[in-house]
Amino acid sequence: MKILHCPLNGPRNISEFVCGGEVVEMPDPGAATDADWSDYVFGHENARGTVREWWFHVPTAYWFIAERDTGTDEILRTYPASEIFGRVPP
Amino acid sequence: MTGEYRLPPSSGERVDRSRSVRFTFEGREFEGFAGDTVASALAANGVSTLSRSFKYRRPRGIFSLADRDTNALVQLPGEPNVPAAVREIEDGMEVLGQNYAGSLERDRGAWIGLFSRFLPVGFYYKAFYRPSGAWQRWEPVFRARAGLGAVDPAARPARFDKKYGYHDAVVVGAGPAGLAAAAAAAAAGADVLLVDDQPAPGGTLTHARFGVDRAPQEERLRALVAAVEEAPNVEIATGAVCEGWFADDWLAVVQGRRLHKVRAKRTIVATGAMEQPVVFRNNDLPGIVLPSAAQRLIRHYGVRPGNRAVVVTAGRDGYAAALDLLDAGVDVAAIVDLRQHPDPSPEASAVAERRVRIIAGHTPSEARGHGRTGRVRALKVSPIAGTGRFGTGGETIACDLVCMSAGTMPAAQIACHAGARLVYDRTTSGLRVDRVPHGILVAGAANGRHGLEPTIADGRRAGRAAAAALGLEAEDAPAAPAGPGRVRNHAWPIFPHRRGKEFVDFDEDLTVRDLTDAVDEGYDDIELVKRYSTVGMGPSQGRHSATNALRIASGAGGGDRAEIGTTTVRPPVSGEKLGVLAGRSFEPVRLTPMHRRHVEAGARTLVAGDWLRPAFYGPETERDRLIEEEAAHVRAAVGLIDVSTLGGIEIRGPDAAAFLERMYTFAYRRQPVGRLRYVLMCDAAGTIVDDGVACRLGEEHFYVTATTGGADRVHREMLWHNAQWRLDVDIANVTAAWCGANVAGPLSRETLGRIAPEIDLSTEAFPYLGVREGRVADIPARLLRVGFVGELGYEIHVPAGFGEALWDRLMEAGAADGIRPFGVEAQRLLRLEKGHIIVGQDTDGLTTPMEAGMEWAVRRGKPFFVGGRALDVHDKTPLARKLAGFVLSDADAAPPEECCLVIRDGEIAGRVTSAMRSPHLGRVVGLAFLLPGDAEPGDRFEIRRSDGGAVSAEVAPLPFYDPDNARQEA
Amino acid sequence: MAEPASYARRSFVYRELAACGARFGGVAGAAVALDFGEPGTERQSLARLGLCDLSPLPRVGFKGPAALDWLRARRVLGLDRDNRADMQRGGALAARLAPTEALILGNLTGRGNLCGRLETALDADPEPGCYKVLRRDGSFHFLLGGMHAAETMATLCGVDLRARAFPAGSIAQTSVARMSMIVIAVSLGEIPAFHLLGDSASAAYAWGVLVDAMTGFDGKPVGLDAVRDALGNGAGPG
Repeated sequence: MKILHCPLNGPRNISEFVCGGEVVEMPDPGAATDADWSDYVFGHENARGTVREWWFHVPTAYWFIAERDTGTDEILRTYPASEIFGRVPP
Repeated sequence: MTGEYRLPPSSGERVDRSRSVRFTFEGREFEGFAGDTVASALAANGVSTLSRSFKYRRPRGIFSLADRDTNALVQLPGEPNVPAAVREIEDGMEVLGQNYAGSLERDRGAWIGLFSRFLPVGFYYKAFYRPSGAWQRWEPVFRARAGLGAVDPAARPARFDKKYGYHDAVVVGAGPAGLAAAAAAAAAGADVLLVDDQPAPGGTLTHARFGVDRAPQEERLRALVAAVEEAPNVEIATGAVCEGWFADDWLAVVQGRRLHKVRAKRTIVATGAMEQPVVFRNNDLPGIVLPSAAQRLIRHYGVRPGNRAVVVTAGRDGYAAALDLLDAGVDVAAIVDLRQHPDPSPEASAVAERRVRIIAGHTPSEARGHGRTGRVRALKVSPIAGTGRFGTGGETIACDLVCMSAGTMPAAQIACHAGARLVYDRTTSGLRVDRVPHGILVAGAANGRHGLEPTIADGRRAGRAAAAALGLEAEDAPAAPAGPGRVRNHAWPIFPHRRGKEFVDFDEDLTVRDLTDAVDEGYDDIELVKRYSTVGMGPSQGRHSATNALRIASGAGGGDRAEIGTTTVRPPVSGEKLGVLAGRSFEPVRLTPMHRRHVEAGARTLVAGDWLRPAFYGPETERDRLIEEEAAHVRAAVGLIDVSTLGGIEIRGPDAAAFLERMYTFAYRRQPVGRLRYVLMCDAAGTIVDDGVACRLGEEHFYVTATTGGADRVHREMLWHNAQWRLDVDIANVTAAWCGANVAGPLSRETLGRIAPEIDLSTEAFPYLGVREGRVADIPARLLRVGFVGELGYEIHVPAGFGEALWDRLMEAGAADGIRPFGVEAQRLLRLEKGHIIVGQDTDGLTTPMEAGMEWAVRRGKPFFVGGRALDVHDKTPLARKLAGFVLSDADAAPPEECCLVIRDGEIAGRVTSAMRSPHLGRVVGLAFLLPGDAEPGDRFEIRRSDGGAVSAEVAPLPFYDPDNARQEA
Repeated sequence: MAEPASYARRSFVYRELAACGARFGGVAGAAVALDFGEPGTERQSLARLGLCDLSPLPRVGFKGPAALDWLRARRVLGLDRDNRADMQRGGALAARLAPTEALILGNLTGRGNLCGRLETALDADPEPGCYKVLRRDGSFHFLLGGMHAAETMATLCGVDLRARAFPAGSIAQTSVARMSMIVIAVSLGEIPAFHLLGDSASAAYAWGVLVDAMTGFDGKPVGLDAVRDALGNGAGPG
C-alpha cells in the first residue's frame, strides 16, 4: 500500500485518499471556443513525467495538490491548493 | 508404534515423544508424535509416496520438506492443497493424497504417463483451441483430471483478521544471517521484527551441517538465538510467512489466520538459499530428495530418511550431508560428485575416512523405482562426457535414498518483489540478486554467502547498515572473517536421456524436451518460455526450476545466460488462503436515528447507498397492497416518512449566495431569508448529478439538501471547486448531524400543530416553500414546506440526537389523525404521480436539464455556473431525447420494469425510467425517454416488456396528480 | 434507573448498551450507561480493555477562518498545532483539527460547562467566520481504554497508535474499519485511552466492530463511572 503525505495529516495509507485527477486550468468560459471547452472537459494529457494532481483526504475532507512522476509513481511533493489558486471574483 | 524409521531422541528435535498422535493417510492408520508434520510422521513409518503429479500422475513424495512442494500437497477434509511438510498432525486427522483416481498406489489415470510423448508442451491449447468453442467443451474434462485438491463447498467459515504493525527494521528469515542482522540492528537501538516460517528460529543452523563437527555450530546457534531473545526491542514471529513486499515497504506477514500488515523502515531479506536439483531421467521418484530434506528429517523429527543412500553433489555441502546420514545410521553407498576434480575439504576427508566411495566426474543418468510404491531402488551413474552429456560405462547402485544438489539459488523473493532482479553470474555459475532497491538489504545465503561465518558476518553487516540508515549508531563490531565465502554451482547439471523423463519442473511435469521445444518454437524470451511451457508457475514458483530453466532456455537458444535474465517474481511467496486476504468484513452501514422504530413497526428495509431505509411497513407477501395503502393514506389523511438520509450541507459566510450561484444552475442571490428554492447540480459536461433544496436561513447562511447517497460526493465537489475559487464560505457536511421526518397529507397541519405551539403553521404565515426555525416537541427544529409527494406537508429537521424522540412525538401527536408511517416505495409512487424526477433513476450519465424538461431550473445569463458553458454547447445541437410522462393504454396492464425499451415503428426510440400503478388514476403511469418529436401529449408508442411482450402507452401531461398544485400549497 | 427513551436526547447506541446490561443514569439531559457490573470489575475491565459510550455528553465544534481566534479570545488553551489536543483548566479537552477547525470535548466528570458557555456565547453574539459544528449530533463519541487499546486499534486502523508514536494529546483523523474517525490519545490517570469520534449514523456499526475487535483481549463495555473513577475526582478527560 502506497503512502501519501497529506499536508494536513502527514503520511497515510493511500486508501484514505481519493484522486481528483490532474490539475487543469479552466479556460475563460466567455472567451473559449466550443472546441476549447470540450477539450478542457474531456481531453486529458496523461503524459509521462511530473504531473500535478488533486488529492482528497477523506477523513478530513481536505483537498490538496501532489506532484507525482507518472513514470515511476513517485510522489515528489504535496502542498495546499492555496499555493496556486487565488480568489475568484464572487 | 511411531515408525520403524524413528531415530533415538536428540537435542533440537521438534517432536514431543511423550505424546503420540494417531491419524490416517489414505484410510490407513498411522501414529506419530506431537510436533510431527504429516510428511515427517509418514516418513517415520516408511511411507514415501504422498501424492501424484499434476500431469502424468507419477507417484511423488517429499522433495525439499520445506515450503510448498507440489509433490507434498495433501488433502484434508474441507481443505485442499495442504503442505504436508508444514502442517502438523492432529489426533484423528484424515489425510489423503491428491491427483489420482482410485487409490494413491494404483491410480487409474496413470496410463497418461505412457502417452507423455504425445503430450508436448502447449498440447492442450494446440489440440483443443480450434474449432472455436472446442476449448470451452474440453476444458472441464481437463480441469477434472488436472490437479489439485478438492474444495468442500460446505466447509465451515473461520475467523481471520488483519493487524497493522510498524517497525524500524523487519528481518525476514531467522537463520544465521537473520539472527545476526536482528541482533546487530537491535543493538544499535532499532525496533526489530524477526519473521520466520519455522516453529523455531535458527534456519539452516537447526538442520544443516557446517563442518565435520556439529558441536561448534550448536553453540553458535544458542548464542545467536539468545542475543535476539534477550534484546527487548526484538519481536520474534515464528510460524510466520512474509508473503510479499508491496509499495512503500509494506510487508504482508501471515501468521496463522492473521495477516500482519507491517510497515518496515528497512527490510532485511535473510531468507537463505534453495538447493537445486540435478536433472536426469526419473529424477522425480519418491526417495530422491534435496540433502536439506534428509537433514530436516533427521534433526527436526528424528527420522532416518532411508536405509541406503547415494549423495549427488557438486560442492562441499554434499559431504557434510553424507556425514549426517552416516551419523543417522544410513548406509551411504557412494557420493557422486559432478566435478571432475573435487576441492579437498575437511568434510570430504572425513567422509573418505568413513570409507564412503567417492565417484568424481560422474552424474546419475537414470533412476529406477519400485513397481508398487515408485520409491527409488537403484541409481545408474555414468561418467560425464561433456556439457549435458554422459557417456557409456558407469554402474548401477542399489539405494532407497538419493540426496542431490547441484548448487543453490538465492531465496530472495521479497527483494525481487521490491524490484531486485535475479541475474546469472558467470563466476558462480548461478543466480545472484542484483539491483536491490533502496530500503532493502539482502544478507547471508540469499546474498550469495556460503559457510557459517561469512553468512553470520554478512547478516551483522546488514543489521548495522539498516540501523545506520535510520540514524542509529551501531557499537563497534569485530571485523568480518577473511574470505568472501561465495556459493559455487555446477554450471550444467542437466543430463537429457534419449527416453526422456528428466524433470526440470516437478510442479508442472516439465522435462528438458518441453523446454527445448518451447525455445525451438520461437519462444526465446524467458518470460515467453515461462508462459508457454508454464515452467515456474506451479505452487513452488520456480524454487527448484528457475536456474535450470534459464540454463536450458539460453543454451537451446544460443543466448547468453546473463542476458536472458529471469522471470518477474511476484507475491505471494507461498500459498495464501482467501480468508487471510479477506480478513474481517468491514462494511459500514448507516442507520438513521429513527431506524429501530421502523424495524419495530415491521418495516422491510432497502439499501440506499450506505443507508438502510424502510421500503414499506409489513410483510413482504403484501408488498404491493401495503405500498398502495401507505400512499393512499398520505393523499387522504396524514403519513410520516423518515427523510434523515437526505444529505445536508451548511454553506455559511459572506459569499454563500455567490457560491451557490456557481455550484447550482438556479439563482440564489435574491432568494429571501425564510424561503427555500430547488437546486439542480450539473457536472462540467452539463449532466445532471444531484438535486435538492437550498434553505436560506440567513443572509450568509444556506442549508442545502442533497440526494440520499449523494451528499458525500456533492460535499467533495463543493470543496474541490472552492479550493480553486477560494470564496469566503465554510462548507460543512452535516448529513449525520441533522435528521428529519416529513409529515405529509391534508391532516399534517393538525398533527404538527399539536406539538409546535410556537410556530404559526397557517398558509399565510408559513406558505409553501417557506422555511422556519422553531421548536417541535421542545426540540430545536428547522421546518421546510416542500412538496415532493404533492400534499400539504412539513419536513422537520432536528439534531440527530433528538431524532428518535421527534419520531415518537410525531406518531403520538398524529394518533388522533390516524397517522401512519410510509416507506420509500410509497414515496416513489407519490412523487411519480407528481412527475418529480429522481436523479440517477430518471436521469443517467448523459442527461442534461433540457432533456429532463428542467430548463425552468437553469438560470442562463449568470456569469458562471458549473456546467453552464457545456449547456451552451448542447444548445447548438438538436435535443436527442426528452423525458416525458406516459400512461399505459390498458388499465389492467402490469407496470413495465425500469429500462424497458420504447419501440416506435419497430425501432428503439427510448426507454422507461420509472413506472408504477397509480392508485389515484387507476392506471400505470411512468416516465420515459422519448424522441423529442414524439413526446407531445397524445403521442402513442409501444413498450417492450422484459418477457418480450409489448404494451402500448400514450404520452400524458405532467404532473399526473393535482396539476394546479393546490394540495401541496394549501 | 433512568430510561433512555424518557429523554429527548438519546445515545446512538442505547439499545446496544441495554443489551449488554447497562445501568443508565441521567447526565447532561440524556441517559448514560454508568456501569455494566460491579465497580471493581469495571475498573479492571477498563484497565485491561474497555469500551465506553460517551455520545450523550456535551461536545461541540467550531470552524471557519475566525474560529480559532474566537476560541482563543475565550481563553481556550492550546490550539497552536494541527492534530493536537490540549487539556483546559476546567477539565475539558480542546482539539485543533485544522487551521480552521477545533473540537471541544466537555469534562467527563460533569463539572464545568465549557461547551455550553461557548455555544451560548456564539449564539448570542455571532462572529463572522466562526461557525458552530453539531458534534454532539453529527459524531458518536466512544472511549476505548486499557493496556490493550492500541493493539486493538491496530486490527482496525493503519496509523501507528502505540504510545511512543502517538502520545497523549495526539490526534489522528483517519480511517478505522473503513469509516472516517477522529482518534485522540489521552491518559486516564495511568490508563491509556483513545477518544473515538465518527459519523453518528454509523455508531451501531462502529460499536459492533469495536466490541468484536476487543474479543481477542477479553475487552468489555464499561460505564461512565469507571472512566470517571480512573480520572480521579476533578480531573478532565485527558
